[in-house]
Amino acid sequence: MSSTIPIEVHGLAKTYRLGFWMNRKVRALQGLDLEVQPGQVYGLLGPNGAGKSTTIKILMNLVQSSEGSARLFGLPPTDENARRQVGFLPENPAPYEYLTGAELVTLAGQLAGMSGHELDQRVKEVIGMVEMDRAAKLQIRRYSKGMIQRISLAQAIVNRPKLLILDEPTSGLDPVGRRQVRDLILAERQRGTTILFCTHIISDVEALCERVVVLVGGRRVREGSVRELLSGQAPVVEMTVEGLSLTRLREFGHELAYAQDFGDRVLLRTGDTAAQALLQQALQAGGRVTQIQPTRYSLEDLFLDALKEARHGTVGGEIS
Amino acid sequence: MIREFGALTLNGFREARRNRVSVVVAVFTLGLLLSSTLVTDVTVYTFQRVMSDVGLGAMCLTLVLLAIFLSSGLLSREIERRTIFLVVSKPVSRALFIVGRLAGNMLTLAVLLVMMSVVFFTQVALYGLPVTAPQLVAAGMLWVELLVISSVGFAMSSFASQLVSAVVTTGVYFAGHLSADIYSLAGRSSSVFIQWLGKGIYYLLPNLARLNFRPQASYELMTPAVDIAKSAAYGVGYAGVMVALAVFVFSRRDFK
Repeated sequence: MSSTIPIEVHGLAKTYRLGFWMNRKVRALQGLDLEVQPGQVYGLLGPNGAGKSTTIKILMNLVQSSEGSARLFGLPPTDENARRQVGFLPENPAPYEYLTGAELVTLAGQLAGMSGHELDQRVKEVIGMVEMDRAAKLQIRRYSKGMIQRISLAQAIVNRPKLLILDEPTSGLDPVGRRQVRDLILAERQRGTTILFCTHIISDVEALCERVVVLVGGRRVREGSVRELLSGQAPVVEMTVEGLSLTRLREFGHELAYAQDFGDRVLLRTGDTAAQALLQQALQAGGRVTQIQPTRYSLEDLFLDALKEARHGTVGGEIS
Repeated sequence: MIREFGALTLNGFREARRNRVSVVVAVFTLGLLLSSTLVTDVTVYTFQRVMSDVGLGAMCLTLVLLAIFLSSGLLSREIERRTIFLVVSKPVSRALFIVGRLAGNMLTLAVLLVMMSVVFFTQVALYGLPVTAPQLVAAGMLWVELLVISSVGFAMSSFASQLVSAVVTTGVYFAGHLSADIYSLAGRSSSVFIQWLGKGIYYLLPNLARLNFRPQASYELMTPAVDIAKSAAYGVGYAGVMVALAVFVFSRRDFK
């Protein structure tokens, strides 16, 4: 039965079997739950091997789940009608090199059920949107990485999808290319398209997403709106102290989130309350505080804290 | 669904057309066909038969090699290069993808076969020889033979690498022309196990000798239409089983 909820995932698990005898198991996903509401831009964050791409591949019917369920608009990903409303940009896309850009986008439209004048018009429109008009008639084998990324994005949006799934859409692009892709994602968001994208470029998530989930080792370790996740954190103050060693500063007994002794100065980060006491104690002890500023708890801090809490390395799912 | 099927088929045709190997094979075969005029120097009484043998044989050899090349690497190459991600994620079933890709291959082979046949029959006519019905049947049934070989290549390609698929498909081609011999040889054995093994291999392998009408073309022997239809039905049926096998395997595959 179809539903208006673009993505519903419950208890999703995936175990890959490796080796000649298929006796080695890698648990890439372990009971993932997530729900993406219409119009949301939802970010999947995580280190390499966290299960981000596996989640996306299950949603796009490229990989079959071992347990749990995934639904696109209430339908399983194996149902073609579910994928009819979806546009997909895989990580490091590899379009048919013998086609021209325009032929690739036309093929994508045809496979999504479009035809005739409507398709021709839409192909021109999306090629214009990704600024590939001049290269549209060149074979893809002559394209640069940035051009491949842009034409692949064009094929993903040609059918005016209600849901856009993007796997590392800005990876490997130069700053100009990244900005263009980000602008296109923002334009799709304006149009009301629901977007799920996975990346490890945290600044992209901060700039684009309303809601994020952090995956580590195939498990969800954080989930919520970006504002919720960041506002719950205690404010942090960054200080630079001269004339006192780090050992001396530690003797004051405050918990330091970060500390680095550069010889002539010490850079440290601590909580708001501790910072006030530390400031007075440092001055009394003959130190000089040359810089003090509150720092915003960033998504990057959240991501690193989540990694630490999960006590997991940065690479791979569980291997048995 | 028909529109999507058409798009996949034409895309497959476009891929083969832009593949240098197809172009080289086409040019090579045309050269080979034209070189059959050399037989005029070495034959006296059997000129027409030799002309037919060389012409149809050249077409068969090159098209079979091309069919093995195109079919055995198609799916594995798509998976290896990850081009499959952009197609399988679209609203098309994996079964339709397989059938569409095979149809693209068969369209390419059909176009090449027609081109080669036109050259061959023009050459025959230029020598003042008649274009016979058995020759037309042989050329037509060559396409069915190519369909069987391509479907075996596709089935292999759904789970094996291009090299393995190509080696196995080539082996099946040769064994397929000898399957009746395998059956009769096994039948002469006193061991029941060998007899059963021979029968098993015979039913498992495609009987490609049944689709080979080139000897009849050489000797201008017309086969009854019913027998031609039965052979064609056998070839299409065997290809259908191979495609079903490819769909079964391919539908269960993960693309990592």
